[in-house]
Amino acid sequence: MNNEWQQQLQQHFGYGEFRPGQESIIKRVLAGKSVLGLMATGGGKSVTYQLPALLLPGITVVVSPLISLMVDQVQQLRTKRKIPAAYLNSTQEAAEAREVLQKIASGQCKLLYISPEKLQQPYVQQALKRATVSLFAIDEAHCISAWGHDFRTDYLRLPDTVKQLGNPPVLAVTATATTAVRDEICSLFGIDRENVVVQTLNRANIAYDLAEVGGESERRQLTFDLIDRLAGPGIVYCSTRQAVEVLVAAYQLEGKRHVDGYHGGMNSMERMLIQTQFLAGELDVIIATNAFGMGIDKPDIRYVIHYQLPASLEAYSQEIGRIGRDGQPGYAMLLYSQDDIHLHQYMLDKEYPTPAQIQQFCQLYGAGAPPDPKALASIDMSEEMAAMLTFYTERALVKAQVSTTTEMANPVQDIWQETEKRKAVKQKKLAEMRSYVLTDRCLRKHLNQYFGESDLGFTRFCCSRCGLQRESYEGRQTALLQREVQNSWNLRQALDMLLPKK
Amino acid sequence: MNSQNSVAEERELLCAVALNAMLPLANERTLQAAYYILRGRKANQTLQDVHLYNLYPYYRMFPGFSKEDWDKIVATLFQNDYLQPCEGEGPSPKPTFLVTANGRQFAEHAYEKYGFAVWFAPFTRFDLAARIESFWQRLHLLVQTVSQLLGKDLGFVPVVMDKSVQQWVKEQVGPARLREAWEAGLSEELFRLWEPLQPQVQELLVAQLSGVSQVGKTLGQLAKQKQSSKVYLTLLFRYGLAASILRLSEEKQAFPLLSRLVVQENKLDPRLSDSAARTYALVQRGIHKAEIAAQRQVKESTVEDHLVEIALHCPEWDDADYLSSETRAAIMAASEQLQTSRLRLIKDRVGPTVSYLQIRLALARRQEESNE
Ligand SMILES: [Zn+2]
Repeated sequence: MNNEWQQQLQQHFGYGEFRPGQESIIKRVLAGKSVLGLMATGGGKSVTYQLPALLLPGITVVVSPLISLMVDQVQQLRTKRKIPAAYLNSTQEAAEAREVLQKIASGQCKLLYISPEKLQQPYVQQALKRATVSLFAIDEAHCISAWGHDFRTDYLRLPDTVKQLGNPPVLAVTATATTAVRDEICSLFGIDRENVVVQTLNRANIAYDLAEVGGESERRQLTFDLIDRLAGPGIVYCSTRQAVEVLVAAYQLEGKRHVDGYHGGMNSMERMLIQTQFLAGELDVIIATNAFGMGIDKPDIRYVIHYQLPASLEAYSQEIGRIGRDGQPGYAMLLYSQDDIHLHQYMLDKEYPTPAQIQQFCQLYGAGAPPDPKALASIDMSEEMAAMLTFYTERALVKAQVSTTTEMANPVQDIWQETEKRKAVKQKKLAEMRSYVLTDRCLRKHLNQYFGESDLGFTRFCCSRCGLQRESYEGRQTALLQREVQNSWNLRQALDMLLPKK
Repeated sequence: MNSQNSVAEERELLCAVALNAMLPLANERTLQAAYYILRGRKANQTLQDVHLYNLYPYYRMFPGFSKEDWDKIVATLFQNDYLQPCEGEGPSPKPTFLVTANGRQFAEHAYEKYGFAVWFAPFTRFDLAARIESFWQRLHLLVQTVSQLLGKDLGFVPVVMDKSVQQWVKEQVGPARLREAWEAGLSEELFRLWEPLQPQVQELLVAQLSGVSQVGKTLGQLAKQKQSSKVYLTLLFRYGLAASILRLSEEKQAFPLLSRLVVQENKLDPRLSDSAARTYALVQRGIHKAEIAAQRQVKESTVEDHLVEIALHCPEWDDADYLSSETRAAIMAASEQLQTSRLRLIKDRVGPTVSYLQIRLALARRQEESNE
């Protein structure tokens, strides 16, 4: 390993050596190549652009769709790693954004995290041009692919942006990408085959389990039994906020472990407290929606239970990827029923527009700017659907300008075909998820094959199809009880504890 | 008390809070009016109701309330025969409600039983509800930061993500001398501030804070631990914060550090919505409403809404430009004769020369005068 790299790695990140895949990605990036890095969740994605950012002149741009993750990472970079980093996204106030832009233009910033829509603003691009972008990193790169489960229309503008910024090398990183998605990313950013670096996606220390449940009471009983028995800490994922609340309340009445809930409907301080308690080992289990887990740095999570069927194998593997980042054995349980599949189908049908809805939308749009919430409410359309239709309508209009007028005869039909294509992709994801739970062969093999991974090694047990003993993941220890029984309240003592004398 | 009991207590308390808030609104407002008050809606109608009916303690008590939560409570109140539907009066009546004798008795009994009089006492001013939240956020992050500084461990994740709060705390602990003052004096000032409060309120406040030696508990967790209900703890918590804010505002000298938390920045008037505050800045420069509307590129009716908001929250504002003392007297007389605050009814009585704006301004100022 190069001496300077090693020194930086030690100094800023506190690691003695690289994790698999990191070094070969960094080597290529520093040689000015565009690279696609496929890294397992928890495999150390961020080091692959943070370290080059320190070594390269100019600025490294990191495009990320996840605002909370962006804020966390920048905070960590600044406090723990002493790296001059900043972020730009739409939640900031104008004054703060201006300050960041000044820093960028004057070269005081090595790393900029930015949301894809913010990157489209001309003054942001100007500031970046002045600072010279030496590396253009794209986190969650699978979002660009129409084949991906997380497709974001903002991402489609990125190839153009790279050109605008003078074609700096691109580093696309993702934890989940099928072969089709990989090919699409490579062709969009001109990445050569030899610059696709794949870290093994096989999680040898995770054992995969699966159970079909008949009804809600069976589902709940099985889950509570697992929570009582399994060695923690663990996470239970539910698909709705309401399910989280009901499950937490029910478990707290009868269960043995310290359990609490986490979902997007709680206020931000509550969420932060629950998360911190979990990280500090005061809670055994978090029952949560998929809002929980992004950017959580907790290596000793021992199990994840999926209370309901996730919408795709990508989402599933991302969520169980949080198990056992310390390399110790862990356990993943997926509960499902026929109703789960019907529910996903129902949501899918609701998410995409009918031709009539597109017609109504185009009429509103024809009146001028994109419709406001009131107008949307009048045709009973969600803001998400409107955002999607705005994108496709704009694209259809651009297409109409460059082509002959006769081709533009029916924009509604065009747009409908586009959204149906998107719907078909999600439909396929759901079918793949379904085939995973219905298969009678090895679960690890099924999952890994889906992501194009041939390594099938495992440490303790492979999966329930190959045979596993659930008892081997059980454990009695519970979270530390925090001074729960206090004899008498004493304000002075409590404050001395909270604010120790220097 | 076991957890079944605390579920029952929760339900009873929610009904009691809702019904007590609804008592003065009966026969005057819709069923929804109290929901908007408890949720803390910033709309003028709601602010005006809070003011006219003296419902300060209830304003923004449950900002997380959903319509479904509210409908459930209202359904229970009807089931228990505490409420009755009722047709409104006047030319364009809105449906309203009546509180039955049963309901009145339940409301009074619960008011007594849960000590509402004590927990509501500090809420004598309109702006407290708005200040409670920012006060708590600042205090929480400040205590966490100072605690981590004292424990010499700066690798922590702030519990408050709000940028402006983080910025404020940074300003407090940035300069070395100020930082040292906080490190040396925060614990003592908190002790003096909270010592006079009830022990259960003290514990509730301290247990929610985070620092080097503890992660704060949520109100829900504390309710479980104390086998109490979250609603009851919410009352105590809001009481503790409001009492703290009042004392810090009144005894600045005694609390040189903590009184910084209640300093009002003079950027935008925090008593008003941002937009109304911008209008107020122009009003204070003597600009008339039509011109303000033009300058700010808003409708004149929007500026009128702002004027009412200003009349409610800013007692120092002189509304003589818009409302003569004779007109005011005529409006007040009509309101009293008709025993109502309904604009339409008053307007019908006082005649076409008096505008709705004038009626609203007069009503907004009524409470204040009766206090004098
Ligand atoms: Zn297997």
